[in-house]
Amino acid sequence: MALATRKKRGPFNPSAIIVNGTLLLLVLAWVIPTIGLLISSFRPRFDIQTSGWWTVFPHREYVPVETIPLPEGDRTGVMEIRGASATFEQFRQGITSPDGQYKIVWKGNRRLGTIEIQEQVWTWGSAWTLENYEQVLQGKTFEIKRPDGTVEVVPGDDLVNAFINSLVVTIPSTVIPILIAAFAAYGFAWMRFPGRRVFFIMVVALLVVPLQIALVPILTDYVRLNLNGTFLGVWLAHTGFGLSLATYLLYSYISQLPREVLESAFIDGASHFTIFTRLILPLSVPALASFAIFQFLWVWNDYLVALIFIGSKPDVQVLTMRIADMVGSRGNDWHLLTAGAFVSMVLPLIVFFSLQRYFVRGLLSGSVKG
Amino acid sequence: MKRYLILTCLIAAVAILAACGGQASTPTAAPAQPTAVPAQPTAVPAQPTAAPAQPTAAPSTGDTTAGASAEAARAAGLTALADAYDGKLKGQVVTITGTQTDEDAVKFNKNFEDFEKATGIDVQYEGSKEFEGAITARFAAGDVADIVDFPQPGLLANFVKQGKIINAADLVPMDWLEKNYNQSWLDMATMPAPNGDIQAGVWHRNSAKSLVWYPKKAFDAAGYKVPTTWDELMALQDQIAADGDTPWCIGIESGAATGWPATDWTEDMMLRTTSPENYDKWVRGELKFDSPEVRKAIQTFADIWDNDQMVYGGRAKIVSTFFGDAPAPMFEDPPKCWLHRQANFITSFFPQGKKFGEDYDFFYLPGIDPQYGKPVLVAGDIMAATNDKPATEAVMQYMSTGEGVKWWLGAGGALGPQNDVQLDWYGDPVERKVAEILKDATVVRFDASDLMPGAVGAGSFWKGMTDLFSGSADLDTVVKEIDASWPASQ
Repeated sequence: MALATRKKRGPFNPSAIIVNGTLLLLVLAWVIPTIGLLISSFRPRFDIQTSGWWTVFPHREYVPVETIPLPEGDRTGVMEIRGASATFEQFRQGITSPDGQYKIVWKGNRRLGTIEIQEQVWTWGSAWTLENYEQVLQGKTFEIKRPDGTVEVVPGDDLVNAFINSLVVTIPSTVIPILIAAFAAYGFAWMRFPGRRVFFIMVVALLVVPLQIALVPILTDYVRLNLNGTFLGVWLAHTGFGLSLATYLLYSYISQLPREVLESAFIDGASHFTIFTRLILPLSVPALASFAIFQFLWVWNDYLVALIFIGSKPDVQVLTMRIADMVGSRGNDWHLLTAGAFVSMVLPLIVFFSLQRYFVRGLLSGSVKG
Repeated sequence: MKRYLILTCLIAAVAILAACGGQASTPTAAPAQPTAVPAQPTAVPAQPTAAPAQPTAAPSTGDTTAGASAEAARAAGLTALADAYDGKLKGQVVTITGTQTDEDAVKFNKNFEDFEKATGIDVQYEGSKEFEGAITARFAAGDVADIVDFPQPGLLANFVKQGKIINAADLVPMDWLEKNYNQSWLDMATMPAPNGDIQAGVWHRNSAKSLVWYPKKAFDAAGYKVPTTWDELMALQDQIAADGDTPWCIGIESGAATGWPATDWTEDMMLRTTSPENYDKWVRGELKFDSPEVRKAIQTFADIWDNDQMVYGGRAKIVSTFFGDAPAPMFEDPPKCWLHRQANFITSFFPQGKKFGEDYDFFYLPGIDPQYGKPVLVAGDIMAATNDKPATEAVMQYMSTGEGVKWWLGAGGALGPQNDVQLDWYGDPVERKVAEILKDATVVRFDASDLMPGAVGAGSFWKGMTDLFSGSADLDTVVKEIDASWPASQ
């Protein structure tokens, strides 16, 4: 491969340019919203609500340099102001002065407004704040008026608790299905037992069952078992929902492992358990890691399953729910979503980047022999 | 080697987390309510709700209200509440679930603090952003809080029909309810259950919607006058337009609920262009959207909305502007739009530091046809009980008294529909003024879209209005589509 590209003089051949260009465009399209979100998360509330995040980059903007009174007389037709003639509506939009240096803008209404002379200057957004992150991480403080007129400051919930809850939910919900699925995959791949095919088809068939239809029946059972609102309940739910995909993915990897290795182990007298722990697990690390990423991201970002099985009581609430609650009953604090999203993204990013080389290897698993 | 390392780390993580996780989950297992027995169809003996019951409307005078002490509660017939104040229900837990989160959830908890201290009952509140979806699953699974706070009576009606709600008249004496609520509130809480109509709950808080906000300072400086009749409002709007500005700030974008502010306008226009009886028929589905009355109501405000001279940004911006951002141009200097019709909660979206009475103010959206009086469109939260434990009963009784919302009124953010609420309890001048408007009202009607079946009130009605103003459908198509979406069982 490397040799071939070098022969064609590296990235300068047309097909490489097209490929790289397309990739670059795709990457930009995916990354720009994230960058916008990151920039917004450091901007003050008022700025977020009134101007776009791209205004933080240097750009030319009109700023008022002079204010003059409205022209006298009839203001319905075409008027002349500083050499520019236009109607009221056009002046409201802004008219460039004849010498091209200024913009003339009518502020306010026809009767009571003023005329602003604006000049174009280079500017960039300079108002940065950590307030969003402070509010997200430390919790908001609410100033609540009491009947006697005093103001009581009530601290809101912070994110720390929710972050820990999310970890407590996510890690077991990732590890349990992987362990079970690895055993199952080994069994399906290398053990001979009656009904093997039927069971495996059942597992694959379960892949297409949407989890939403299982919510109410499972919740009903949980209520009977007193599991509702517990972390154990949500681990089991995530395990169940993730298990079919995990088994299928790991099966396709484990069944591709070279037969000879396992056979020689058998001949040496190794039991199934020894083979599984000493051979299969170490050899399938790429597949395990890639599924771990899948499951981790899915559970970390999950809202629905947590909503139904844990609920939103502050002591058990997970991160997604806490962030959703943070915007307030009517969404009046939506600007906090920017910082909240970034805080919740940090851990999945770390997990992804630390495991991603396995991820790529795992996805390719079985496609190339060797 | 590295692979082993990672594997070991993973396994270690399992072990550690299994350990911490186990610990963490134990305390939370506790509050799992023994509610498991979900409100058996309630048998519903006390049933003469529909009965004579003239609104006695004699608000209690004096400084002690029925909810404030054991004696007062007993005198009003609220025995469970009196028992609670006597300490007989100490240590019991009552769970409430609803839509209030964040600051409102803090207020919810604070509102019950005095009650908890006085009675020893622990009121636990759980608020969720996805209340509507979650509550349906919870009811289906039989795992629901003792009391549910419904902002949409139409949603509550579903559970009443399934027999999952206790008749509030069994928990709170009917003659007390009749004394402490305007009859129209009781009518709105009357819903069909398997064994006949019941009082589905007690009204705890409400808001008023027929309000028009304006930037007071600039408004006065421009020489505009607050209109008291529809004609004056139209004249004001024309004057603002003649001055070269757009009078109205309108935005109806609200995520999945986009379109709801337009349904509020429809309702306000219905109340102003036809009789309350027709409004009630419309809510029940007996008066079709495709009727001259409803069409006229929609047309009345569509004439304003469709006119690019009248709406900031023109009609095209209505559907894409977030309802909370819509009033923002009103606070620019000079204002870019001058009038914004919205419920009293909109103040929480106003820019920080703006003061009521200086920077902004509001007036009552005037009536159109004098024969229909001074109607006010309201919304509110109804508390429905899912069991009849004594502590639940006590909390329900408490919430039916003004005392049960008094703290919240002082802190701001709610109005109390109870008759024994006094105006000087309101800590927020906005809400005091709204309460006065409500007192003056000749007709009070609940937000129709919250009363209609969910498929319409939280579905096709929103969508139809959005289509109408985005220009993707005309009025004929919209009204027919909404009518067609009405559930057959109604």
